[in-house]
Amino acid sequence: MSALKRVQQWATFARIWHIYDATWQNPFESAALLKKYLMGLHKPIYHPLADCGDHVVVINCSEIALPGDEWKKRVYFHHTGYPGGASWTLAWELHKKNPTLILKKAIYHNMRGNLQRRYTMERLHLFPNESVPDEVMKNISNQIRQIRPVPKRLDHYTEDEVKEFPKLIDYPKDYIIR
Amino acid sequence: MQFIRATTNVVLSNSSFLKLNLVKTIWTSKPSYLKEVREIEKGSELIVQGVNYPSPRENYLLKNTNASVCPICSSGLDIKHTDVLILSQFVRSDGCVLPRRITGLCRRQQKRVSSLVAMAQKAGLMSNLTPANSKKDPKKRRGWKKYNKYFDESTIKLK
Ligand SMILES: [Zn+2]
Repeated sequence: MSALKRVQQWATFARIWHIYDATWQNPFESAALLKKYLMGLHKPIYHPLADCGDHVVVINCSEIALPGDEWKKRVYFHHTGYPGGASWTLAWELHKKNPTLILKKAIYHNMRGNLQRRYTMERLHLFPNESVPDEVMKNISNQIRQIRPVPKRLDHYTEDEVKEFPKLIDYPKDYIIR
Repeated sequence: MQFIRATTNVVLSNSSFLKLNLVKTIWTSKPSYLKEVREIEKGSELIVQGVNYPSPRENYLLKNTNASVCPICSSGLDIKHTDVLILSQFVRSDGCVLPRRITGLCRRQQKRVSSLVAMAQKAGLMSNLTPANSKKDPKKRRGWKKYNKYFDESTIKLK
Protein backbone atom coordinates (compact mmCIF):
# COMPACT_ATOMS: atom_id res chain seq x y z
CA MET A 1 0.00 0.00 0.00
CA SER A 2 1.45 3.33 -1.08
CA ALA A 3 1.78 6.24 1.32
CA LEU A 4 -0.96 8.13 -0.51
CA LYS A 5 -3.40 5.26 -0.27
CA ARG A 6 -2.57 4.82 3.41
CA VAL A 7 -3.33 8.43 4.20
CA GLN A 8 -6.51 8.24 2.14
CA GLN A 9 -7.57 5.26 4.21
CA TRP A 10 -6.95 7.18 7.44
CA ALA A 11 -8.81 10.21 6.17
CA THR A 12 -11.77 8.11 5.07
CA PHE A 13 -12.26 6.43 8.43
CA ALA A 14 -11.28 9.34 10.66
CA ARG A 15 -14.08 10.79 12.77
CA ILE A 16 -14.69 14.42 11.86
CA TRP A 17 -16.01 16.94 14.39
CA HIS A 18 -18.70 19.29 13.06
CA ILE A 19 -20.07 22.37 14.80
CA TYR A 20 -23.63 23.66 14.39
CA ASP A 21 -25.04 26.92 15.72
CA ALA A 22 -28.69 26.35 16.75
CA THR A 23 -29.50 30.07 17.07
CA TRP A 24 -33.03 30.69 15.63
CA GLN A 25 -33.11 27.19 14.13
CA ASN A 26 -36.07 24.83 14.24
CA PRO A 27 -34.91 21.83 16.34
CA PHE A 28 -36.97 19.36 14.30
CA GLU A 29 -35.61 20.51 10.93
CA SER A 30 -32.12 20.56 12.45
CA ALA A 31 -32.57 17.02 13.78
CA ALA A 32 -33.07 15.62 10.28
CA LEU A 33 -29.91 17.42 9.16
CA LEU A 34 -27.68 16.55 12.13
CA LYS A 35 -28.75 12.89 12.07
CA LYS A 36 -27.01 12.45 8.71
CA TYR A 37 -23.70 13.61 10.14
CA LEU A 38 -24.05 11.60 13.35
CA MET A 39 -24.83 8.36 11.48
CA GLY A 40 -22.39 8.99 8.63
CA LEU A 41 -25.15 9.00 6.00
CA HIS A 42 -23.34 11.79 4.14
CA LYS A 43 -20.39 9.49 3.37
CA PRO A 44 -20.17 7.31 0.24
CA ILE A 45 -18.82 4.43 2.37
CA TYR A 46 -21.91 4.39 4.59
CA HIS A 47 -23.15 1.05 5.79
CA PRO A 48 -25.31 0.39 8.88
CA LEU A 49 -22.55 -1.77 10.36
CA ALA A 50 -19.63 0.45 9.25
CA ASP A 51 -19.58 2.68 12.38
CA CYS A 52 -18.55 5.68 10.26
CA GLY A 53 -20.54 8.40 12.04
CA ASP A 54 -19.05 11.77 12.96
CA HIS A 55 -19.19 13.93 16.06
CA VAL A 56 -21.52 16.94 16.08
CA VAL A 57 -21.14 19.81 18.55
CA VAL A 58 -24.26 21.98 18.80
CA ILE A 59 -23.92 25.40 20.43
CA ASN A 60 -26.61 27.90 21.52
CA CYS A 61 -29.25 25.23 22.09
CA SER A 62 -31.16 27.61 24.34
CA GLU A 63 -31.67 29.96 21.36
CA ILE A 64 -33.68 27.54 19.20
CA ALA A 65 -36.88 28.85 17.59
CA LEU A 66 -40.24 27.14 17.18
CA PRO A 67 -42.88 28.19 14.61
CA GLY A 68 -46.00 30.09 15.68
CA ASP A 69 -47.35 29.14 19.11
CA GLU A 70 -45.69 25.73 19.17
CA TRP A 71 -43.92 26.56 22.44
CA LYS A 72 -47.26 26.21 24.23
CA LYS A 73 -48.87 23.64 21.92
CA ARG A 74 -46.20 20.92 21.79
CA VAL A 75 -46.45 18.53 24.73
CA TYR A 76 -43.90 16.01 26.01
CA PHE A 77 -45.33 12.95 27.73
CA HIS A 78 -43.68 11.00 30.52
CA HIS A 79 -44.91 8.14 32.66
CA THR A 80 -43.13 7.01 35.79
CA GLY A 81 -44.67 3.52 35.60
CA TYR A 82 -46.64 3.92 38.79
CA PRO A 83 -50.44 4.47 38.81
CA GLY A 84 -51.15 8.16 38.26
CA GLY A 85 -47.55 8.67 37.19
CA ALA A 86 -48.35 10.29 33.84
CA SER A 87 -47.19 13.84 33.26
CA TRP A 88 -47.48 16.22 30.35
CA THR A 89 -44.88 18.98 29.96
CA LEU A 90 -45.22 21.87 27.50
CA ALA A 91 -42.28 22.54 25.22
CA TRP A 92 -41.44 25.87 26.87
CA GLU A 93 -41.55 24.31 30.34
CA LEU A 94 -39.19 21.55 29.25
CA HIS A 95 -36.93 24.13 27.61
CA LYS A 96 -36.90 26.15 30.83
CA LYS A 97 -35.83 23.09 32.83
CA ASN A 98 -33.15 21.99 30.35
CA PRO A 99 -32.37 24.11 27.28
CA THR A 100 -30.73 21.21 25.41
CA LEU A 101 -33.43 18.59 25.90
CA ILE A 102 -35.79 19.55 23.04
CA LEU A 103 -32.99 19.23 20.48
CA LYS A 104 -31.71 16.01 22.07
CA LYS A 105 -35.14 14.39 22.00
CA ALA A 106 -35.75 15.62 18.44
CA ILE A 107 -32.55 13.97 17.19
CA TYR A 108 -33.13 10.81 19.23
CA HIS A 109 -36.63 10.34 17.83
CA ASN A 110 -35.49 11.11 14.28
CA MET A 111 -33.39 7.91 14.26
CA ARG A 112 -34.63 4.34 14.03
CA GLY A 113 -34.79 2.53 17.37
CA ASN A 114 -31.99 0.00 17.03
CA LEU A 115 -28.91 -1.01 19.00
CA GLN A 116 -26.78 1.67 17.29
CA ARG A 117 -28.95 4.61 18.34
CA ARG A 118 -27.58 4.99 21.88
CA TYR A 119 -23.98 4.87 20.60
CA THR A 120 -24.78 7.39 17.87
CA MET A 121 -26.23 9.75 20.48
CA GLU A 122 -22.97 9.57 22.41
CA ARG A 123 -21.34 11.40 19.50
CA LEU A 124 -23.71 14.36 19.91
CA HIS A 125 -22.49 17.15 22.17
CA LEU A 126 -25.07 19.79 23.11
CA PHE A 127 -24.26 23.10 24.79
CA PRO A 128 -26.87 25.66 25.91
CA ASN A 129 -24.66 28.63 24.96
CA GLU A 130 -21.38 29.44 23.21
CA SER A 131 -19.06 28.25 25.97
CA VAL A 132 -17.55 24.95 24.79
CA PRO A 133 -14.67 23.23 26.64
CA ASP A 134 -11.31 23.61 24.91
CA GLU A 135 -10.74 19.88 24.58
CA VAL A 136 -13.94 19.70 22.50
CA MET A 137 -13.30 22.90 20.56
CA LYS A 138 -9.80 21.89 19.41
CA ASN A 139 -11.19 18.86 17.49
CA ILE A 140 -13.59 20.85 15.34
CA SER A 141 -12.76 21.05 11.63
CA ASN A 142 -16.10 21.74 9.92
CA GLN A 143 -19.13 23.94 10.36
CA ILE A 144 -22.62 22.81 9.32
CA ARG A 145 -24.61 25.50 7.52
CA GLN A 146 -27.71 26.76 9.32
CA ILE A 147 -31.10 25.98 7.78
CA ARG A 148 -32.88 29.27 8.47
CA PRO A 149 -31.34 32.75 8.23
CA VAL A 150 -30.98 34.38 11.66
CA PRO A 151 -33.29 37.43 11.78
CA LYS A 152 -31.85 40.74 12.87
CA ARG A 153 -33.78 42.89 15.33
CA LEU A 154 -34.65 46.46 14.35
CA ASP A 155 -32.86 47.90 17.39
CA HIS A 156 -29.66 46.09 16.36
CA TYR A 157 -29.41 48.12 13.16
CA THR A 158 -27.64 51.46 13.46
CA GLU A 159 -29.73 54.61 13.28
CA ASP A 160 -28.23 55.50 9.89
CA GLU A 161 -29.03 52.07 8.44
CA VAL A 162 -32.69 52.52 9.38
CA LYS A 163 -32.77 56.10 8.13
CA GLU A 164 -31.03 55.47 4.81
CA PHE A 165 -32.88 52.27 3.90
CA PRO A 166 -34.99 52.84 0.73
CA LYS A 167 -38.50 53.91 1.70
CA LEU A 168 -41.65 52.58 0.04
CA ILE A 169 -44.01 55.29 1.25
CA ASP A 170 -43.70 58.93 2.30
CA TYR A 171 -45.88 60.66 4.87
CA PRO A 172 -48.67 62.91 3.56
CA LYS A 173 -47.76 66.61 3.55
CA ASP A 174 -49.97 67.48 6.50
CA TYR A 175 -49.08 64.41 8.59
CA ILE A 176 -48.25 64.88 12.25
CA ILE A 177 -45.38 62.55 13.06
CA ARG A 178 -45.51 60.66 16.35
CA MET B 1 -38.72 64.00 17.31
CA GLN B 2 -35.03 64.29 16.54
CA PHE B 3 -35.05 65.89 13.11
CA ILE B 4 -36.54 69.27 13.89
CA ARG B 5 -35.40 72.04 11.62
CA ALA B 6 -36.17 75.46 13.04
CA THR B 7 -38.64 76.90 10.56
CA THR B 8 -41.69 79.06 10.96
CA ASN B 9 -43.00 78.26 14.40
CA VAL B 10 -46.70 78.79 14.66
CA VAL B 11 -47.46 79.85 18.19
CA LEU B 12 -51.03 78.81 18.53
CA SER B 13 -52.04 79.72 21.99
CA ASN B 14 -50.84 80.23 25.49
CA SER B 15 -53.84 78.80 27.26
CA SER B 16 -54.94 75.22 27.45
CA PHE B 17 -58.58 75.55 26.36
CA LEU B 18 -57.50 76.42 22.82
CA LYS B 19 -56.02 72.90 22.54
CA LEU B 20 -59.45 71.83 21.28
CA ASN B 21 -58.93 73.83 18.10
CA LEU B 22 -55.40 72.53 17.74
CA VAL B 23 -55.89 69.95 15.01
CA LYS B 24 -57.92 72.28 12.81
CA THR B 25 -55.38 75.10 13.18
CA ILE B 26 -52.50 72.83 12.25
CA TRP B 27 -54.08 71.50 9.11
CA THR B 28 -54.80 74.92 7.60
CA SER B 29 -51.19 76.17 7.73
CA LYS B 30 -48.41 75.86 5.16
CA PRO B 31 -48.99 72.68 3.16
CA SER B 32 -45.49 71.74 1.97
CA TYR B 33 -44.09 70.57 5.29
CA LEU B 34 -44.65 67.82 7.82
CA LYS B 35 -45.79 68.92 11.21
CA GLU B 36 -45.00 68.13 14.77
CA VAL B 37 -46.87 69.38 17.79
CA ARG B 38 -44.74 70.62 20.66
CA GLU B 39 -46.00 71.71 24.05
CA ILE B 40 -43.76 73.96 26.14
CA GLU B 41 -44.73 74.92 29.66
CA LYS B 42 -43.38 78.21 30.99
CA GLY B 43 -44.64 78.73 34.51
CA SER B 44 -48.40 79.15 34.20
CA GLU B 45 -48.32 79.46 30.41
CA LEU B 46 -48.68 76.55 28.03
CA ILE B 47 -47.30 77.22 24.57
CA VAL B 48 -48.40 74.81 21.88
CA GLN B 49 -46.31 75.01 18.73
CA GLY B 50 -46.79 73.43 15.34
CA VAL B 51 -43.28 72.92 13.98
CA ASN B 52 -42.80 72.42 10.25
CA TYR B 53 -39.95 70.47 8.72
CA PRO B 54 -39.34 68.52 5.48
CA SER B 55 -39.98 64.77 5.45
CA PRO B 56 -37.00 62.68 6.62
CA ARG B 57 -37.86 60.13 3.93
CA GLU B 58 -37.70 62.57 1.00
CA ASN B 59 -34.24 61.56 -0.24
CA TYR B 60 -34.63 57.81 0.27
CA LEU B 61 -38.02 57.34 -1.37
CA LEU B 62 -38.28 54.47 -3.84
CA LYS B 63 -39.75 55.58 -7.16
CA ASN B 64 -43.22 54.18 -7.83
CA THR B 65 -42.77 52.83 -11.38
CA ASN B 66 -46.42 52.00 -11.90
CA ALA B 67 -48.59 54.78 -10.47
CA SER B 68 -51.83 52.86 -11.06
CA VAL B 69 -51.06 50.36 -8.27
CA CYS B 70 -49.96 50.79 -4.67
CA PRO B 71 -46.27 51.17 -3.66
CA ILE B 72 -45.79 47.53 -2.55
CA CYS B 73 -47.52 46.01 -5.60
CA SER B 74 -45.46 48.16 -7.98
CA SER B 75 -42.20 47.28 -6.19
CA GLY B 76 -42.92 43.55 -6.68
CA LEU B 77 -41.38 42.70 -3.29
CA ASP B 78 -42.29 39.54 -1.41
CA ILE B 79 -42.03 40.96 2.10
CA LYS B 80 -41.34 38.56 4.96
CA HIS B 81 -42.00 39.19 8.65
CA THR B 82 -38.24 39.38 9.26
CA ASP B 83 -37.86 42.40 6.91
CA VAL B 84 -38.11 44.84 9.79
CA LEU B 85 -36.46 47.71 7.87
CA ILE B 86 -39.43 47.68 5.47
CA LEU B 87 -42.16 46.94 8.01
CA SER B 88 -41.03 49.71 10.36
CA GLN B 89 -41.94 52.23 7.61
CA PHE B 90 -45.62 51.40 8.11
CA VAL B 91 -45.54 51.68 11.89
CA ARG B 92 -45.80 54.57 14.34
CA SER B 93 -43.31 54.93 17.18
CA ASP B 94 -45.72 53.10 19.53
CA GLY B 95 -45.95 50.09 17.19
CA CYS B 96 -49.36 50.98 15.77
CA VAL B 97 -49.84 50.27 12.05
CA LEU B 98 -50.59 53.41 10.02
CA PRO B 99 -54.09 53.50 8.52
CA ARG B 100 -54.70 52.98 4.83
CA ARG B 101 -55.40 56.63 4.09
CA ILE B 102 -51.82 57.40 5.13
CA THR B 103 -49.97 54.35 3.77
CA GLY B 104 -51.84 54.50 0.44
CA LEU B 105 -51.71 50.71 0.08
CA CYS B 106 -54.37 48.60 -1.55
CA ARG B 107 -56.73 46.64 0.70
CA ARG B 108 -54.84 43.38 0.17
CA GLN B 109 -51.37 44.74 0.93
CA GLN B 110 -52.61 46.70 3.95
CA LYS B 111 -54.01 43.48 5.43
CA ARG B 112 -50.79 41.64 4.66
CA VAL B 113 -48.57 44.37 6.13
CA SER B 114 -50.58 44.53 9.35
CA SER B 115 -50.33 40.74 9.70
CA LEU B 116 -46.58 40.86 9.07
CA VAL B 117 -46.15 43.63 11.65
CA ALA B 118 -48.03 41.51 14.20
CA MET B 119 -45.73 38.58 13.41
CA ALA B 120 -42.60 40.72 13.74
CA GLN B 121 -43.81 42.12 17.06
CA LYS B 122 -44.59 38.65 18.43
CA ALA B 123 -41.17 37.41 17.34
CA GLY B 124 -39.66 40.37 19.21
CA LEU B 125 -37.98 41.81 16.10
CA MET B 126 -39.42 45.34 16.46
CA SER B 127 -39.38 45.57 20.25
CA ASN B 128 -38.17 49.20 20.14
CA LEU B 129 -41.42 50.21 18.38
CA THR B 130 -43.80 49.41 21.23
CA PRO B 131 -45.94 51.42 23.69
CA ALA B 132 -44.02 53.29 26.36
CA ASN B 133 -45.09 50.91 29.16
CA SER B 134 -43.72 47.80 27.42
CA LYS B 135 -40.59 46.04 28.64
CA LYS B 136 -38.87 46.38 25.20
CA ASP B 137 -36.58 43.36 25.67
CA PRO B 138 -38.36 40.20 24.37
CA LYS B 139 -36.33 38.05 26.80
CA LYS B 140 -38.17 39.68 29.70
CA ARG B 141 -41.58 38.48 28.52
CA ARG B 142 -43.62 36.03 30.59
CA GLY B 143 -43.77 32.26 30.13
CA TRP B 144 -43.60 30.84 26.63
CA LYS B 145 -43.49 34.29 25.02
CA LYS B 146 -39.86 34.89 25.92
CA TYR B 147 -38.53 32.16 23.62
CA ASN B 148 -37.61 32.61 19.95
CA LYS B 149 -40.37 32.01 17.48
CA TYR B 150 -40.87 32.49 13.77
CA PHE B 151 -43.89 32.52 11.51
CA ASP B 152 -44.96 31.18 8.14
CA GLU B 153 -46.19 33.96 5.83
CA SER B 154 -48.37 31.51 3.88
CA THR B 155 -50.67 31.33 6.92
CA ILE B 156 -51.87 34.90 6.25
CA LYS B 157 -55.34 34.53 4.78
CA LEU B 158 -55.94 36.96 1.91
CA LYS B 159 -58.82 37.10 -0.51
ZN1 LIG C 1 -51.44 46.93 -4.09
